[in-house]
Amino acid sequence: MDAPTATRIGDGVYRVHHEGGSRIVYVAGAPGDWWAFADGIVCRDDFGAARQRGRRGARAAGPETLSAPMPGTVIKVLVQPGAAVKKGDTIVLLEAMKMELPLRAPADATVVAVHCREGELVQPDTTLVELA
Amino acid sequence: MSSVPSVVESSERFVIRRLLIANRGEIALRIIRACRELGIESVAVYSEADARAPHVAAADRAVAIGPAPAADSYLSVPRVIDAASTSGADAVHPGYGFLAENPTLADACEAAGLIFVGPPARVIAGMGSKIGARALMESAGVPVVPGETPDDQSDTGLRRAIDRVKRPALLKASAGGGGKGMRLVREASEIDDAIQAARREATAAFGDGSLYVERRLDRPRHVEVQIFGDHHGRIVHLFERECSVQRRHQKVIEESPSPALTPALRARMTAAAVTAAKAAGYRNAGTIEFLLEGRGDNARFYFLEMNTRLQVEHAVTEAVLGIDMVRAQLLVASGAPLPWAEGSLTQRGHAIEARVYAEDPARGFLPQAGRLLLYREPQLPGVRVDAGIVEGGDVPVHYDPLLAKVIALAETRELAVARLVQALRAYPILGIRTNIPFLLRILEHPRFRTGDVDTSFLDDEYATLVPAEPDETPEYVRTAIALHATNTASASGQPPPRSSGDPWSHLSGWRS
Repeated sequence: MDAPTATRIGDGVYRVHHEGGSRIVYVAGAPGDWWAFADGIVCRDDFGAARQRGRRGARAAGPETLSAPMPGTVIKVLVQPGAAVKKGDTIVLLEAMKMELPLRAPADATVVAVHCREGELVQPDTTLVELA
Repeated sequence: MSSVPSVVESSERFVIRRLLIANRGEIALRIIRACRELGIESVAVYSEADARAPHVAAADRAVAIGPAPAADSYLSVPRVIDAASTSGADAVHPGYGFLAENPTLADACEAAGLIFVGPPARVIAGMGSKIGARALMESAGVPVVPGETPDDQSDTGLRRAIDRVKRPALLKASAGGGGKGMRLVREASEIDDAIQAARREATAAFGDGSLYVERRLDRPRHVEVQIFGDHHGRIVHLFERECSVQRRHQKVIEESPSPALTPALRARMTAAAVTAAKAAGYRNAGTIEFLLEGRGDNARFYFLEMNTRLQVEHAVTEAVLGIDMVRAQLLVASGAPLPWAEGSLTQRGHAIEARVYAEDPARGFLPQAGRLLLYREPQLPGVRVDAGIVEGGDVPVHYDPLLAKVIALAETRELAVARLVQALRAYPILGIRTNIPFLLRILEHPRFRTGDVDTSFLDDEYATLVPAEPDETPEYVRTAIALHATNTASASGQPPPRSSGDPWSHLSGWRS
C-alpha cells in the first residue's frame, strides 16, 4: 500500500493523494499543537505518537510505527527491542527548534525494532521505532 | 433580482444619509453592505474587545462605545445615542439581539430625532409582552397555542391555570423568549418547583416574573412567516421559514419553503400572519412564529410569538425570493412604500441555512473563544456566507457565539442540502472548535434528508448527532500535518511560540 503523499497548494493548504483519491487538508498551529481540517473533520494533533485511536475498532493489529513530525535530532532513545511499554511512555526524545519533543507510545505495546540512534538527525515520516 | 436604484433615484428616495449600526459581527457587516450598495454612509460602533473586528474597518466611520462587556457597550442606549450624535448619524439600525427589541432604544431614537429602522416603540413593547401579544392575537381571530394568561399570578392562580390547560404544560415568561424562564410540567408533583424556578429565571433574565401557561403540543414544527409593513399601512408576507432544528430553543438550521406545508396550508398561515401583523399595527420587518401540529392541508397552526426585528435567518427568505430585505428596511424607514407588488414574489428553488457557532459539540457545546489560526470561506455558486470573522482575528468571550451563516440555494431541497454539505466541508475554521461537524451530521441524517423533523428532532437524535469521542486523526491528515510542520520549520528562522494549551481540556468527563 502506498503511503499518502502531500503537496502544498497554498498557504496552509495541502492536497493529499492516497489510495483511490485525493483530498484537501488545511493545517495551522504550532509544533505540539497542530489543527487540521479536511472535509468537515477537525483534528487537533500534538507532535509525536502516530495516533490510532481506532474508535470503531476496525483497525487490524499490526506493527505501529513512530516517526518524527518534523526534522529533529534524537536526544535519547529510551527503549530497546523487546521492551514492554505502557500507553503514554516516552519512547524517543527528539529535539527540534530548541524544544524537547517526546514521542510517546500510543497504547500498551512491545518494541519490535528501533531505527534511530542518539545524536542522529531525522526527517519527518522516517520510521524511528516499530511497536506491536 | 430586485432592481437597484440609480444614484439619482436613491438620493431622491433616501432620507437616510448616514446610518449607525448598533451591533457587531456578521449582521453589522450585512447592514454595512446594504448601505454601500445604496450610497448610505455607515457608522460602526465597537467595544474595546472589537477594536480590530472586521465590521469596524468595513464601515465609513467607527465610534468606540465602551468596554468589552455588552452591558457597558452594545447594550447601552445612552452610549449608542451618543455615538449617533458624535458621528452625525441620522438613523440607527439595531440588527438582531442586543437592543433590537428594546423599546427604550426606539424611544430614545425618536426623542433624539433619529430614524429607528424597525417598528414603533409601542409595537415593540406590545409584542414584547408575550401575554399581551397572545391576547391581541386572540381578539384578532388568529389561533394561539391553547393556554392561559392568568391575571392571578400567585402560586395558586398559576396552579389553577395549569390544571385547566392540562398537562403536559409549559410555564413561560411573559417578558422573554429563547427558552428562558420556561419550565415543562408533566407530573402534578413538578408544578410547585416549576413555578418557583420559572419565576426566578424570568425575573433574573428579564426583570419581570410574570408567567403564562401553554399546552405542550405534540412534536410541533416551528414554522414562521416573514412579514413587512410600510408607513403607508401596507403589509405583505414574504412566505415562511421552517426552523424546527433547534437545540435548547436556539435555531441551528432554517429553510424555505417548509417541507411540511401544502399550498392550502401555506395560504392559511400567511394570511393569518398578515392579519396578526395588521392587528399589531406593524411597520418594517417582522416575523410571526407559529407552531404546527399535524401534516397536510388540515394541519393545525398556532401563534407562538412575534419577533419585532430583522432575524438571523432573514437570508433564507432573501435567497428563495431573490430580494434584499435590509435594503427594503432602509427604504421603508425612509418613508418609501414597500418595494414589492402584491403577489409578485414567489418562492423559487429551495434555500437552507446552517448557523456556525463557536461551540464544541464534543464538550456539551461549550462556547469557544480564541484566535482564528486559519479561516477560509467556501466560494461556490449558490452558496452565500455571512460571517463576522477573519483569519488571525480573535473570537471574544463576551458575546453570542454565532460566527457565521452559510446559506445554500438550489433547485430542489435535495440539491440544496447537498450543496450546503459541500460548502461546510469546504469551510475550514481552525484555532477554536465550531459546530461544523455537528451541522454535517444533522444534514446527513436520514430524518433530515426526508424533511421529517420537528422541534424534538435534535433531542431525540442527540446520541447519533453528537459523537462521544473526537475524531481520530486519519493518516492522510497526518501526512499533511507533517509536511506543514516541515515547511513552517524551515521557513521561519525563529523558534515558534510555545503552544498555549487548551484550557478546556482540563475539564474531564464533561457532558451536558
